[in-house]
Order: sequence, then C-alpha cells, then structure tokens
Amino acid sequence: MMTPAKAFDQYIDLCGQFGAPGASPLLQEINGLGRSMLAEAAKAYRPDPAEIDTLRPDAMFATDYGINLMRVGMPVDPAATFRCGVPNLGSLLAIVANDSFHPTEALLRNMPEGLTVCSLNKVPAGLQHVASQVMRETLEGGGVAEALNAAFLADGVFIHAAAGVKVDKVIQIVNISAPTVPMLSLRRVVIVAEEGASLRVLLCDHSQTAATPHLNSQLVSVRVAENAAVELYDIEEDTPATNRHWTLDARQQSHSSLTVNSTCLHGGLSANRYNINVEGDYAETSLSGLAICGGEQTAANTVTLTHSGKHCTSRQLFKNALFDNSRGGFGGKIIVRPGAMFTDAEQTNRNLLADDNARMTAAPQLEIYCDEVKCSHGATTGQLDERALFYMQTRGIPAAEARTMLTQAFMVDVIDNISFEVLRQRIHVLVEKRLTGAAASCDTCATACHTS
Amino acid sequence: MNKDNIDNYTPDSDDTLSKATSGEYKYGFSSDIDTDIIPAGLNEDVVRLISQKKGEPEWLLDFRLKAFRHWLTLEPPTWAHLDIPEIDFQAISYYAAPRKKEGPKSLDEVDPALIDTFNRLGIPIEEQKALSGMAVDAVMDSVSVKTTHRERLAEMGIIFCSFSEAVKEYPDLVRKYLGKVVSYRDNFYAALNSAVFSDGSFVYIPKGVRCPMELSTYFRINASGTGQFERTLIVADDESYVSYLEGCTAPMRDENQLHAAIVEIIVEERAEVKYSTVQNWYAGDAQGRGGVYNFVTKRGLCRGDYSKLSWTQVETGSAITWKYPSCILAGEGSVGEFYSVAVTNNRQQADTGTKMIHTGSNTRSTIVSKGISAGHSENSYRGLVKVAKNASGVRNYTQCDSLLLSDTCGAHTFPVIDVANASAVVEHEATTSKISEQQIFYCNQRGIPTEEAVALIVNGYAKEVMNKLPMEFAVEAQKLLSITLEGSVG
Repeated sequence: MMTPAKAFDQYIDLCGQFGAPGASPLLQEINGLGRSMLAEAAKAYRPDPAEIDTLRPDAMFATDYGINLMRVGMPVDPAATFRCGVPNLGSLLAIVANDSFHPTEALLRNMPEGLTVCSLNKVPAGLQHVASQVMRETLEGGGVAEALNAAFLADGVFIHAAAGVKVDKVIQIVNISAPTVPMLSLRRVVIVAEEGASLRVLLCDHSQTAATPHLNSQLVSVRVAENAAVELYDIEEDTPATNRHWTLDARQQSHSSLTVNSTCLHGGLSANRYNINVEGDYAETSLSGLAICGGEQTAANTVTLTHSGKHCTSRQLFKNALFDNSRGGFGGKIIVRPGAMFTDAEQTNRNLLADDNARMTAAPQLEIYCDEVKCSHGATTGQLDERALFYMQTRGIPAAEARTMLTQAFMVDVIDNISFEVLRQRIHVLVEKRLTGAAASCDTCATACHTS
Repeated sequence: MNKDNIDNYTPDSDDTLSKATSGEYKYGFSSDIDTDIIPAGLNEDVVRLISQKKGEPEWLLDFRLKAFRHWLTLEPPTWAHLDIPEIDFQAISYYAAPRKKEGPKSLDEVDPALIDTFNRLGIPIEEQKALSGMAVDAVMDSVSVKTTHRERLAEMGIIFCSFSEAVKEYPDLVRKYLGKVVSYRDNFYAALNSAVFSDGSFVYIPKGVRCPMELSTYFRINASGTGQFERTLIVADDESYVSYLEGCTAPMRDENQLHAAIVEIIVEERAEVKYSTVQNWYAGDAQGRGGVYNFVTKRGLCRGDYSKLSWTQVETGSAITWKYPSCILAGEGSVGEFYSVAVTNNRQQADTGTKMIHTGSNTRSTIVSKGISAGHSENSYRGLVKVAKNASGVRNYTQCDSLLLSDTCGAHTFPVIDVANASAVVEHEATTSKISEQQIFYCNQRGIPTEEAVALIVNGYAKEVMNKLPMEFAVEAQKLLSITLEGSVG
C-alpha cells in the first residue's frame, strides 16, 4: 500500500521539471514558497482517521492529473459561454475558466470606488503586500494541500475592500470547469475586508463535463478586519466527474462578522474544509451548509473553528440529505483557547438518510480550555417523520411529493442563513429542482452559466 | 451584571480553590505483605515463567506467546488526547503475587495483614460483610486472593472464581470464550495483557439463572514497580442475569504504575449483564507526580437476541485513564448502555468513552457521559456509534456533558457517528458549561457555603449516572466524588 506521503511525490517531481508558473513577481514568490514547503509538508501529512477515506488529500491528489503549466488557453472563450449573463442578481461578475481569471465588462464598468477585484497576477502595487501577506499566512498555517496549491498556482482572484467601503452588490466568481483531458485546476481566492468594510462574495462552481475526470483545488483566504463584515456564499453545481477540494482559511478581528454558507447540489467528491480563527473580541461567526447527494456522490464538511478572542459568538449548522449510494460527512471541531472567556459556540449537524445504501459519518467535536464558556453541539441522523408523511398523504399529497416537501422543509433553516434576499430565493428554487430531479436551467438558476 | 462587571469578574470562590486542592487519598497505604515478584523486564521467557508459575496448559501458553509476538510489532497508541510520558515496558515487573502456596480454605488462613488491608479498604471480605449479600473476589497486585460465597453460588450452577482456577477447573469454558470479544490483536495494551495477564475473575451464569447477589471484584496494586494485568471474563448464558461490581485502589507512590486490564463479556439470548466500576486508582499528587496509568480494554458482545449489557462507571482516580467500555450489539433487539461520570482534578488526564457497534437489527443504545474537570486536568469523551448496513431499526441516544470547574482545565468531546442504514435514528448532543453564578448565589443565599453548594450541584449533575449504580457502590461513589473535588472549586 502506498504511504500517504507518497501520493504527493508526483508533484514534488513536477517542481523539478517545470519552473514556477506564476506570471507576476507576487505569484512567483508564492510559487517558490509553496515549492520549498511541499516536500516537508508531504512528509508531515497524517490522514485524519475520522475523515471519509476517498476525501482525504492523499486519496484525492493521488490520481495523475494534468496541470496546465504551459498556460494553454481554453478552446472556448468563457465570455462566449456566458452570453446569458446573470439576470436579477445584479452582481459584479468574474469568471474563472478552469484556472484562469476573466473579468467581465460589467465588473470593470461597475466597480465601486475602494473595491478591487482582479487577477492575482495584476494586483495593484499598493495592495501587493496585503495579498502577499495573506497568502503567506495561509501557507504557514496550512498543510500539504495549501503548499501544493501555492507551488503550481498560475492565477487567482484578489478581492479587496478598502477601509470603510461597503459594497452593496454581490461579487460573483463563477468557476467553470471544462477540461478536455483529466486536469487539476488550482484556484485561489483572496478576500480582504479592511476596517469597517463590508463585502458579499458568491463563489459558484460549475462543471461542463461529466465525461472527463477533473480535480478542482480551491483555496480561499478571508481576512475580516475590525468592524468589517464578510458574507461568503458557495454553490456547487458540478458533475459526477468533478472532485472538489475546497479549503477556507479565515481570520477575524474584533467586532467583525463572518457568514459562510455553502450549498452542494451536484458533484462527485466534495471535500470542504473550513479553518476559521476568531482572533479578536466580540466577533460573530455563522457557518452553514447543506448538501443534497445522490448517485455515487460523496460530500463532507470539515470545520475547525478556533476561538481565541473574548465574548465571541459562533453558530454552525450543517445539513445533509443523502440518497442512493451517496455518502455524507461532517467533522466539526470547536476549539476554545485558554483565555477565550465568554465564548458562546453552538454546532448543529442534522442528516437525512433517504436510501438504504446511503451512509453518514459525523464527528462533532469540542476542545475546550477555558471555563467561562457556553458550548454545545448536537448531531442527529435519521429519516423523515413517518407521521408527517402519513398526514400529508391523508390530505391527498402523493408520497413522493410529500417526501420532497418535507426534505425541502428540512433544509429551510440552512437556506435562511442567506441574508441576501435574491440569492436566498434562488437557492430555494435550486433545492426544489434538485429534489424533484429537474435540471437547473438558465431561467431559474442563480448563476445561469449553462448555455443550453 | 453590566459589561464592565463581566470583564472584571473573578469568581469569589477562588479562595476556596486554593484552600485545599486535594481531598486526601484515603486508600494510599501500602501493605507489608510477603510478595513473590519476578524481576522486571519482558521477553518470551518471562511470558513462559508466568505461565509456568500458574501451571497453565499448553494452549494458554500458546495464546500468550502469540499475543506477545504480536505485541512486539505494535506501537503504543497516540491518538488519544493524552500526554503520556514514555513508558519503559522493560522496567516493570509483570508478576507479583502475595506469597501463598495454597489458596486459603477459610478466612482464618488468610494473611492477617491482607485481611487488615481489605478491612482498611472497607471491602466486604469478612463474614459480617458477606452477610450483606455480596460475593467478592479480591485481586491484589496480580493474583486473586479470596473468593467468597463460592459454595452458595455453585449450588445454582454459577461459577465465580479467579481466572487461574477457572483455567484449571473449567478449561473448556475458558478456552471457548477467551479472546473472543477482545482479541489479542485488538490493540497495544490488549496484546500486552494477553501476553502477561496473571489473574482476574471468571464468571459463568448458566441458562435461566438470576444471580441472587451482586458479584464483586476488588483490585489493588500493592507492590511497587509492578504492573497489574488482570483479565475478567463474564459469560451470561440464555435468560440469565448478573450484576458485577469492580473497585480499584492503589497505594500512593511517586512512580507511575501501569494497569492494563481486559474485560470480556458475552451475553446470550435474553440475558442481562450489568457491570459497574468505581475506579479510584491513586491519581498522583497535586503536581502530577506518581499515579496509576489505567489503560483498559473493556468490551461486551451481546450475541443473543434481546440481550442487554449495561456499563456504569465512576472514574475518579488514575493519573491517566484510557478506557472505552464498549458493546457489540449483534443479537436482534439487543440493548447496550453506557453511563459514565469521569472526574479529573490536579494534573489528571482522562480520555474515556464508549463504542456502540450496532450490527443487529432493532438494537438500541444509550450513552450518558458526564465529565467534570478541575485543576489543571484534561478530560475527554471519545465515542463511536456505528450502525452497520444491514442493521435496520437501530436507535441511539448520546448525551455528553462537561462541567468545567477551573479556567486551567480542559474538557473535550470527540464523538464519531457512522450510520450506514437509512432506518437508524441516531442522536448526539453535548454541552459544556461551568457552574453558574446564579446557582451558587442561590445556595449561598440559603445558607449553604460555596464548597458544599458545589458538591451539591456536582452530585445533582452526576445523579443520572449515580442512580444506575448498585446501592452499596452509589454511597461510596458519591463520597468519592465529593472528596476528589474537595476545594477544587473556582
């Protein structure tokens, strides 16, 4: 059997064969840092036994994918793919095709004062140090997946709101996967909200191929300064050929607020990791996510939420509905460091097993080193209420429809964490479509990237 | 309380905290008993010597040797949330027996120092205590020294004797069940125990018999530089019932002593076993010097349909506890229960919990774990609830609460829930909190001093588990709880 560290050997070899792919000094620097750390990080890597084995980094990265180191362009112009735009969302849209950043006309035209949305290769001189520092911090606190991402990173997205800038519009980054050969796309998003700023970012993952296996490794860093607020929404609409390795590294300062909401509707393997450090006092954190899995799909959310500041509040709510042969996972860890007095942390995980072959693994964990705290967690795995189903049928609602309605109702409180009205309604529609089996189409989809 | 008050808040009971951090360990005496100790160290010859000293049959020696050879290939587990100093397994003596050629025929023949030891422990080994209706097997250091009430139990066909006697008198029974629930390949400490176990208790309850009294074993490590590796095997045949109690103490010593036991339980159709433990091994002093390392593998197999196994534990002692009494629920409709109170104070570390493995349909399990941490201690609950693919109609309820009594201790929860059957209903909930100021204030207001108030609240908090203990143990456990936490309140 291959030892876990061996899975990364191919990437270490690749570093020797190809130069750093970053097109700017900033990315070159990060490439170099990632490369210097990769071998060491691979050696230090230990798989987490509580994690689903197919979602462990050593399993996901073991396949021999191609990386677009030669920077060959996509055969299809992403802007052309996007002719339908995004109705009603009024967002500032940018597209990441496989691993290359493409801003839209609308974004460049409507960019408000104090907001920067650009490629990591084109970060304005005045903000270079910010981007560099954030990426370095993530690397230092990260493991092998972070080092790997940095070593081969060719492009990425940089979002920066200057102090006091409140951006009303949603910044939407659509990640499109349309590889023609088995491919590893390395994606990087850096989001910085300076003091008193507020930002809303929507990340959408869309795969256009169900035939070619591909791995998307996306690393998102979020920095929320004092009194700043960031809302981060993430939607996955991929195919069974998609393997997604998604990592969030977030840090919060005093009186800041961070909301993260994730919706996984279609995909192959999805590993979502959330590493959140609440460093300041009086900060608020809300994390929520839902996954509806069918077929052979596997999706897991793994949270490590560390409270270091005083008087902070955090809420976590993750729900899974598992159909067919799918597997769901939840790993949640709340760490309350010594001195993080008056922390109020709550973690909830609820799962529906809808079919006999579905399987759910949950590991809700607490690590507490401070006594003046209120921490709780709850996890349940079960089925829909038979009495409710029966009641609905006595009122003439067919069993299948009753099930859909109840499953939808089960997901409502996760979706309600989305404060952005338009998006919330769209997610409701998407979830309904997902449950009834109707394909998401352009007229109702929040992201409308399908061209058919 | 306004914000400023909260910021500047320090519990007024801090004085009480510093007053007396350690309740005195009343079992901390060592008895001057003539002991037969083999030199420290572990190799195949030592394993053979232990087997030879006990006059064991060939098959048992084979079992030990297989276990020993497997143990050599293993590393001590490191996944627990414990800081375990490196243990030199060659510095431990693996056999220490009170020097007795023949087993005592009556109490008169027992070494008076030994009787005195047990009297001081307050264990009911004497006739007067025996009248209280409890059969006792006392295991000192490594061997079983006295089993009471055997004759009366034998009339009903119940076998309750030391493990070595069972090997001699009921070899077929022992051979049939030994290692069937906890294989010697199970883990590092199980392999070690399988290689060097010296004694323990054996219980067999025949079909349809309800054991009329509580069976009890008292373990005590006495000699210094020794480890205790006992093995308990309980078999409850169809439609039988037994309640089994286990108590543990050790003298106060500066060095750390190792206790690596195995408990195996087999529950047949419609039988019920209730296993209660009050663990009070020496926990080390306030600076964390000395104390027992308690690394125990306990597991029961509910093999028969509608069988039931209930674990109740009150863990107040040991410097380090690594213990997960578990149930494999294989029989249709079988029931597993785990009730635990784990208290850690000073520098104690505990990583304890349970595994409920549901492989049978309509099986049910309940887990109630109450952790209380004080001083600089670390207290973790670690659990697994697993529902196999073909186990339909499974129900599990888990509740694990932690109470923090100081700002320097840690309370952790590491559960894993793995469900592979859609008809299962599995619930887990956990809370962590400290004793609220309002509760203390209310008690103070009613004339109850802070320390007593804390004892009152902690006892109330642990009551759900304490209620599951047999009467005789409940009183002792309650006292232990108060002693362990005496003054540790902040």
